[in-house]
Amino acid sequence: MNAKQKAALAEYLIALADDELILGHRNSEWTGHAPILEEDIAFANLALDEIGHARLWYELAADLLGVDRARFPDQQVFFRPAADFRSLQLVELPKGDWAFSMLRQYLFDAFEQHRLTGLSESSHMPLAEIAVRVRNEELYHLRHTRAWVTRLGLGTEESQARMQAALNALCPYARGLGAALPGEADLPLGIVPESAALYAAWLDEVSAFLAEAGLKLPGETALAETERRAHSEHMAALIAEMQEVARLDPEAEW
Amino acid sequence: MSDTQWPRYEVFQQEAPDKPVLHNGSVHAPDIEMALLNARDVFARRPEASQLWVAAAERITSRTREELAAGEPAPSTAGEPQTYCLFGKLAQQAQASLLGEVQAASGAAAIATAQTDFEAQKVLRWWAVPLAALLKSDPAEADPMFAPAREKTYKDQAEYPVVTMMRKLRAGKRLDE
Amino acid sequence: MYGADVEQIAIELSEEPEKLADFEARIARGEKIEPGDWMPAEYRRQLIRMISQHAHSEVVGMLPEGAWITRAPSLRRKLILIAKVQDEAGHGQYLYHAAETLGATREEMLEALLSGKAKYSSIFNYHTTTWADNGAIGWLVDGAAILNQTMLARCSYGPYSRAMVRICMEENFHRKQGQEMIIRYSQGTPTQRAMVQDAITRWWWPTLMMFGPHDADSPNSGLLIRWGIKTRTNDQLRQEFVNQLAPDLQACGISIPDPDLRYDEASGNWLFGVIDWDEFWRVIKGDGPANAERMAARQQAHDDGRWVREALSAYAAKNQIQ
Repeated sequence: MNAKQKAALAEYLIALADDELILGHRNSEWTGHAPILEEDIAFANLALDEIGHARLWYELAADLLGVDRARFPDQQVFFRPAADFRSLQLVELPKGDWAFSMLRQYLFDAFEQHRLTGLSESSHMPLAEIAVRVRNEELYHLRHTRAWVTRLGLGTEESQARMQAALNALCPYARGLGAALPGEADLPLGIVPESAALYAAWLDEVSAFLAEAGLKLPGETALAETERRAHSEHMAALIAEMQEVARLDPEAEW
Repeated sequence: MSDTQWPRYEVFQQEAPDKPVLHNGSVHAPDIEMALLNARDVFARRPEASQLWVAAAERITSRTREELAAGEPAPSTAGEPQTYCLFGKLAQQAQASLLGEVQAASGAAAIATAQTDFEAQKVLRWWAVPLAALLKSDPAEADPMFAPAREKTYKDQAEYPVVTMMRKLRAGKRLDE
Repeated sequence: MYGADVEQIAIELSEEPEKLADFEARIARGEKIEPGDWMPAEYRRQLIRMISQHAHSEVVGMLPEGAWITRAPSLRRKLILIAKVQDEAGHGQYLYHAAETLGATREEMLEALLSGKAKYSSIFNYHTTTWADNGAIGWLVDGAAILNQTMLARCSYGPYSRAMVRICMEENFHRKQGQEMIIRYSQGTPTQRAMVQDAITRWWWPTLMMFGPHDADSPNSGLLIRWGIKTRTNDQLRQEFVNQLAPDLQACGISIPDPDLRYDEASGNWLFGVIDWDEFWRVIKGDGPANAERMAARQQAHDDGRWVREALSAYAAKNQIQ
């Protein structure tokens, strides 16, 4: 890859990392407040995995940019203005109720499986290697979230209604998963999978699975938020909170 | 079923393929699939599992050495024989470990048979678990289930060299010296 | 009464002397008492009290540190903190099961916690006011807890002792990550140094109170020691804690907020000042800085989660999966 392509791939990876980071951050808000003690543990695991993956992607981006991989992740997370994050609005939205958080995690994980399968075949070997590792962890996430989606979808009238409401609210934002990531258009073939193709495969899979859980994807009429430069009103507050302590003393080794 | 008191499932765990299968604790869960997922999150947060099994506590038959010594009516042999996994607690401090399998018509009959089959071992407490009541983690899924814990080195106390750090400070040195 | 012989205790507790003597002989031989074995009602009652109190402490203990997960100042610290709070949920889970083997259901224990009947460690009724408090909790509070828990890992009741072995292993990670944070910040920037000094100043005395009242005011100790549940007293453990922590904190350049603290050559102990027992009882009785907030947070999680738990139960019932 030439320098321009390396920069494009770094941009792509930072967007992936931002998604994982912000989703992990939102999930971590459940720690200590989950519906049942076992799920405090399980959801914290999901958060740990997502934040761990974010770190892996930031480090890989640092390698491509030729900067210090030990420092780059924290610089990105704690000292970048909210406007410079490239996360989807899907992951920024407040955690909502348990149905909302669980369903968001499921939709995201199901998409990740497709993306990671594509990335594990990347001709950029360091990327392919990490994708294999990450996909391994995400497989378990999918098992966990699928078990939950089925139970909440088919549980009680209330749980079904809450899940359907969550799905209706999430769907317009989930369409953002199918938009090309920053840098994607500037990469030669074989480095990363095409997002639009992943989206089609994902849509087939989740429609079928959700239908089995008694849930119906809403029609395509609603507004689709796919632009990663546009953030929801929740992002600035999330970032301010996340960076609050680190910015007390930017010189410090925290 | 109340919303805060789910059935109890006993959890059996094998740390590595060459290690024994041990009883490792219990989880509450609404059903056995959730019990297996809970067991994974509760007992394999650190790298210490290659296999997990769960079984509803109510399907398990248990006898202590004292109970057996006190005698009980001969267990019925009527009914379709099925496979039971026999677990025994072999020492005061030990967890129950898997001793083997027997065919029997009931849990009590399985324990009676096991007493002869495994008589060389001094078992303090027997557990008979119908094989059909066990849900085992799929070996093909061992990696997604248990490998992630291996990456989380920050959960390991060895990651925090506080003894060395204190030694440096007491010697009046800087931490990076 | 508990220096007394077994006959006398049997009368006091309305237990059969022979059974009680057998039971005490088993403990003397170092045997573990297991669920289903004969045990005096008072042994069962004391264990349920201790184990459920400990379980509640883990569950409520998730809150003060959990409040900082979203603000942890580096990815490493964020991962550590999530993993730590996660462990606390895990410990609560092990302990509820250990108590359940004695016949206390999780439902009853939760109900006792939420209704305010059950006690939990009063240390969690203090606020975490800055990020460095998480380090102080790790090194001081978890360090204090480990002393107690190491003792309980050898206790006579099998399920409690086994839960404690596991918990101690994990608590060591908690203590060391806290200690590492405090050591680093104590050698860090002026902002960090001020932050750790402030945190230690606020957490020092409440941590000493964690060991409970003086031995003379601790009504349960005698029987607990006789039956191998506890092997050391509150004051012994507290002294060991001060002996460990005082020199280490001083080596970090952190001052301890006790003008009476000094090393006593003769006993080899670090002597310390008088604990404010009024504050101790006030916080235990519900008047600490954050009692109401902690309970409200638990109640909220419980209420918000009801429909979720009901849905899972309903699904299991419909599908008869077991």
